[in-house]
Amino acid sequence: MQLTANVAPALELRHARKAFGHVVALDDISLSVMRGEVTVIVGDNGAGKSTMMKVLSGVYPLDSGELLIDGTATVLASPARARERGIAAVFQNLALVECLDVAENMYLGRQIRKFGVFANRKAMIEGAADTLTELKVRLPSVRVPVGVLSGGQRQGVAIARAVQQDTPIVLLDEPTAALGYRETQQVVTIIRQLRDAGKAVVLVSHDLPMVFEVADAIQVMRLGRVQGVRRRENADRNEIIGLITGAIGSDRKVA
Amino acid sequence: MATFDKAQGDAQDESGVAVSRSSTDAGSWVVRVVTSPQFMVVVVMLLFVGYGATQSGQFVSGLTWINILRNAVFIAIVASFTTFVFVSGGLDLSVGSLFAVGAMASAALAAAGVPTWAAVLLGSFAGAGAGLANGLLINYASIPPFITTLGMLYAARSLVVYFTGGEPIAPVPDDFAAIAQGNFLGLPLLLYYAAAVVIIAQILLQTTVFGGTVRAIGGNREAASNAGINVRRISTIVYILSGLSAAFAGVLMSSRLGSGQPSVGVSFELQVISAVIIGGTSLFGGIGTVWGSLLGSLVLSILTTGLILLRIAPVLQDFVIGVIIVVAVGIDQLRRRRMFRSTGVR
Repeated sequence: MQLTANVAPALELRHARKAFGHVVALDDISLSVMRGEVTVIVGDNGAGKSTMMKVLSGVYPLDSGELLIDGTATVLASPARARERGIAAVFQNLALVECLDVAENMYLGRQIRKFGVFANRKAMIEGAADTLTELKVRLPSVRVPVGVLSGGQRQGVAIARAVQQDTPIVLLDEPTAALGYRETQQVVTIIRQLRDAGKAVVLVSHDLPMVFEVADAIQVMRLGRVQGVRRRENADRNEIIGLITGAIGSDRKVA
Repeated sequence: MATFDKAQGDAQDESGVAVSRSSTDAGSWVVRVVTSPQFMVVVVMLLFVGYGATQSGQFVSGLTWINILRNAVFIAIVASFTTFVFVSGGLDLSVGSLFAVGAMASAALAAAGVPTWAAVLLGSFAGAGAGLANGLLINYASIPPFITTLGMLYAARSLVVYFTGGEPIAPVPDDFAAIAQGNFLGLPLLLYYAAAVVIIAQILLQTTVFGGTVRAIGGNREAASNAGINVRRISTIVYILSGLSAAFAGVLMSSRLGSGQPSVGVSFELQVISAVIIGGTSLFGGIGTVWGSLLGSLVLSILTTGLILLRIAPVLQDFVIGVIIVVAVGIDQLRRRRMFRSTGVR
């Protein structure tokens, strides 16, 4: 419809609002995520980062405002709908089922079928092992229950699941929260691979050094509002911290 | 647990190597059998039967065992699908009453001249309908399973008594009675029905996409929902299957008795739940097998018959069953705590 359609952001929020009772978690939020870029959301606890990720992944509906995919306004009524529209998400609580094995978790909600009704165990085991090996996630086996894995290994499975879906948009909520230095570097590598593959990546993280390693754009949130958006090359660590803590005023007040 | 330590060891050994596709050769099958939740139950029952055989010759007679199996049939059929309810993280207390619904509906229809096949189908569907009501109330009106199915337990039983005036329905046509009274190759037809139900249920739970989603919603409802699984629909289907299997077992009971008895299946739900729990299915969802529940049904039946043969006061049977249930759940909790890193309760 519009001439600029081919450069429309892959994922966009306009004047998004979400409240839980009297608590306004997202207040007039905007977000613009480009293809082949990593947009990092930073902010203190209660800034609305996780709520925003849940809105983007179809878990929460918006009270008002718009969500656009490739420039088209869309309503994501459910996580299944979000996935259909090309959004894969890694949630902060990981969203894995402990009593199912790694392969079953990798294909949760999208099992490979055999004769229409049967689960194709073999194909899922092969597919899970291939993806995990490719991403250098180290596990005892894809046939152990996720419940026996360490926090880092679970992160690996959750990220691998999102990567494997090969969707144009990938959401990662605190993917390095439980990881040591080496595993964090591995995640950084994976995120760069996703970006280089032309995907739009939204990342929530508290880990500022890592943020500066992978970000193309940094969006600071505070108390449910957007405090400021910076390109990485123009961003300065102290300024970002100032925006997070509120020591530096919001762009919107200045404007 | 041996398998767990082994998995840990492999994690270190395999640094940098491809992710294993095997089951970490999680011990040989011997280890898996010995550490399975059903192993202790089997050992205890073998000891019990072995001891019984030294006390009473009837313990080793073929007729006794056919009776034991025949008594286990009704529990096993219902327990197969109650397993689904537990694995999906739910609870169904109404199966005893839905058993009576199936028994009375089919007997009334058959006695009124409806063809046998139609009486069987319609009797079973009555239970499925009640199961649908359970599923809708639990998943779409968010009434807890305990409350919903407790309500159904009372309501369904009440309607059965109301519509039959509390009187038995007899006689039923010979065609109808023949379903459960006949033999094939020297074994009661009932055994074949139960075997078919158990095998179908086992295949459904362990190898199908549907079974996988049932285990997923019971293991972590939120994660399943976030992964795009329609949790409410799957859970509702599980309650429908539970009601269907309960009513079908009731139909078989009316056929076997040759009459519809309105008081049939009172407190039957407790036996079914006991069988499922003894079989190693977790109350907390996600974990369980149909063949474990079959084993639990056999345990209850063997105990009931065996304690009579040993001339132990029948009132003590329930004591034994009570102890076994508590021990079984204790083992389940212990297993979860040792197996998974988070606490056992979920």
